[in-house]
Amino acid sequence: MLNYIISRLLQGALVIFLISLATFVIMRMLPGDPVMLLLGEGEIQITQEQIDAIRAKWGLDRPYYEQYLVWAGNMLRGDFGDSLIRRGVPVRDMIFEAMPVTGRLNVMAFALALLISLPAGIVAGVKRNSPFDYATTIGSTIGVALPNFWFGLMGIIVFALMLRWVPPFGLKTWQGYVLPVVVLASEQMAVFTRVMRGATIETLSQDYVRTATAKGLSRQVVILRHAVRNALLPVVTVIGFRIAFLFSGTIVIEQIFALPGLGRLFVDSLYRLDYQVVQSLVVLLAALVVFINLLTDLAYAFVDPRIRIER
Amino acid sequence: MTKKRNLRGPEQLSRRQFLQIGGVGLSAAAFMAACAVPAEPGAAPATGDSTASEPTSGGTLHLMGHQEVAGLSPDDTGPSVQATMILAIHNSLLMADKDLVTQPQLAESYEVAEDGLTYTFTLHQGVKFHDGKEFTAADVKYTYDYYRDPENASTLVNNFLGIGAIETPDDYTVVINMEQVNAASLTTWGETPIVQSEYHAEVGEEAYRNAPIGTGAFKLVEFNPAEVVLVEAFDDHFRGRPKIDMIRQEVVPEPSVRTIALETGDADSALWPLLVEDSLRLAEDPNFTVIKTSTAGVKHIPLNNKLPQLSDKRVRQAMMHALDRQRIIDDLWNGAATVANSNLGPKFAFYSLDQDPSLKRYDYDVDKANALLEEAGWVMGDDGVREKDGAKLTFTCTTITGDSARRPIAEFAQQAFKEVGIDMQLAESPISAILEGLTNGTVDASLFNWTYGSVDPDPSSTLRSDGGQNWNSFENARVDELIDLGLVTVDPEKRREYYYEIQQIVVEEVPMLYLQWDDWYNVFTARVKGLPESANDAFAIYFNGLHEWWLDPA
Repeated sequence: MLNYIISRLLQGALVIFLISLATFVIMRMLPGDPVMLLLGEGEIQITQEQIDAIRAKWGLDRPYYEQYLVWAGNMLRGDFGDSLIRRGVPVRDMIFEAMPVTGRLNVMAFALALLISLPAGIVAGVKRNSPFDYATTIGSTIGVALPNFWFGLMGIIVFALMLRWVPPFGLKTWQGYVLPVVVLASEQMAVFTRVMRGATIETLSQDYVRTATAKGLSRQVVILRHAVRNALLPVVTVIGFRIAFLFSGTIVIEQIFALPGLGRLFVDSLYRLDYQVVQSLVVLLAALVVFINLLTDLAYAFVDPRIRIER
Repeated sequence: MTKKRNLRGPEQLSRRQFLQIGGVGLSAAAFMAACAVPAEPGAAPATGDSTASEPTSGGTLHLMGHQEVAGLSPDDTGPSVQATMILAIHNSLLMADKDLVTQPQLAESYEVAEDGLTYTFTLHQGVKFHDGKEFTAADVKYTYDYYRDPENASTLVNNFLGIGAIETPDDYTVVINMEQVNAASLTTWGETPIVQSEYHAEVGEEAYRNAPIGTGAFKLVEFNPAEVVLVEAFDDHFRGRPKIDMIRQEVVPEPSVRTIALETGDADSALWPLLVEDSLRLAEDPNFTVIKTSTAGVKHIPLNNKLPQLSDKRVRQAMMHALDRQRIIDDLWNGAATVANSNLGPKFAFYSLDQDPSLKRYDYDVDKANALLEEAGWVMGDDGVREKDGAKLTFTCTTITGDSARRPIAEFAQQAFKEVGIDMQLAESPISAILEGLTNGTVDASLFNWTYGSVDPDPSSTLRSDGGQNWNSFENARVDELIDLGLVTVDPEKRREYYYEIQQIVVEEVPMLYLQWDDWYNVFTARVKGLPESANDAFAIYFNGLHEWWLDPA
């Protein structure tokens, strides 16, 4: 078990290294110059020599391998470097400022999604082809099909503009969380419900379920103790995947609702070619995905004792 | 000079003031104008607004920008949404008013020597910084010396071109000695926000960007770049305490959400425009005040003039005739623009020939376009694309990735050019890549708005052959010469002749396909009072207004 974890961690480190290299290369290959973007809408005039002077000050004139080594070395020591666009501000501080916003949003959205979708999926699976089942099927199809940005904008129009229940943007009050969390949760909910329903139906047709029923256990015990526990296995996998994907949903949501989280930080930094911030965020995200994948694999063993982790 | 002007009263006045203040060669006139300007704090009555209530104090003004505010030092004034807050916190020696007329601000008055080599500023006395320190000539000298020092790698360094030694004979006098006459530079360096020198020297530029101390009407309370800049009224501001207590500027990237926030009353103004259709709708709504201004940058298709297919001016002229530019405005831009006739916008009335009927115009005329192309030797090929010496008349227009607003114009142009046998391919790329590609000649053409001369009409960076933003690879010896003459001439009447001639050459040579001057709608909720009835510039409304506005409590 311990050996397995260690080898997985080493693999993870290799993945993160390769991703950091790829991100660095891609960012430098992106055409354009961050200095040009400081100049605003064409009111500030500047010569190439002056642009070069600014680049030199920012260390952008150094050879690429040197820039990479400096950055990677600093990353290993936990120093993410300074933002180019917000000169002098450590990237770490920017990420720490933005992280709680994204974290809170995602935890709430995830909790809401699980709270609704797991019971809904189980009930839909058990009462197959019932009106409830059809309703969840339709609901989750819509949830998957609707783009987040459209759902978000419609939410703002209905609940902020027409009903005035929530503010149209920002997190100044707790009401500000309602729409983004619901929109973010809606997509997760749809996926979880589908998977939970499918897995429930699958396990209910297994022999051991029939055996359990045959030996006279109550339906409730059969479903909760025997069926659902086994049905959770594919759901855990999907949950692991979705956590990694949460970030991408956050990018859209934070843009629409004007929330100062990691997604907005990422988009703003990409637009302004703030290399340091983008690179650091991608590497952190890669580390997160690697870590979550490991946790998911370990969770299998916990949920299903039949899976033994060897090697 | 029989130039017809389509100007209303207040603008006429401002033009006269412009003449006087722009009259840097005539020190007496400059002095008079300088003296005439500063109004006693509090004495200024509400401008314009007919429904104006009595000015009241208090309240929080909510502004919405579209992108994060990266920093608040003078060096960050490039992006306009940053400049609003920077100029609320700071003041400068001079500042363009809402009609782009340069007015003294921290300077009480100034004089320019006959030869244009010395500017002498007399500063206001008793002006306080937010930390209580008194503003003196040393702060001006420090600010200018810091941002023009190449060591400090500031984006403002070009603003100080040609400035030699800065002297401070006493605490309230600043003498700027020019190494060479540069008539265009006054409005750039003169409008540099002044920092509290001792504080800036102590904490350094990087810390200053996050915690600035200026003399402005508002002082910084909270700054979280991705979310909010919060400033509060500065009680000891030299023009009197502003009436609004607090200003919150928030970052709302999505234009439709900005509109909704205005409608729900969660915000009072969108610094960055809404969708055009929303602006037009709110303009009809009594709950909103909409001030229409025009953009300084012309919407144009920059062309690589060195590209063999595009190097003949007749080809470029033909493209102008092939485009029905009024139809672009009507069908693709909700009518919210006016056709451009020159490189210098009509908002810069004193120097602009844009509305002058004597200037050559390119009306929509397919026959003329075809005739010009024939004359240039481009004959129609079998595939409907003209050719000459075996080469096809084809090039690529690279629009900004995701620019769904302007892209249809490129598609329209593509069709229009096809009519006359010009093949324009379309591609997309990020803006930074396009700007780089245009300067090094790897991008043939694009489509965006850019300024070819503004408050000061000098177009050195865009039209001079060695300009840093010579998007069109334009080379014209006479234009270079005129630009140089314009820079060393201080008499505005004489300068005007040079800039008139530059515009005439641009219109004849067509370095870029100039399309239109976009309308820029500034939308405020009706509770914002003290707004001007009209203005020539969008952001100047804020730069000069925030300290005089008030919020109607009703």
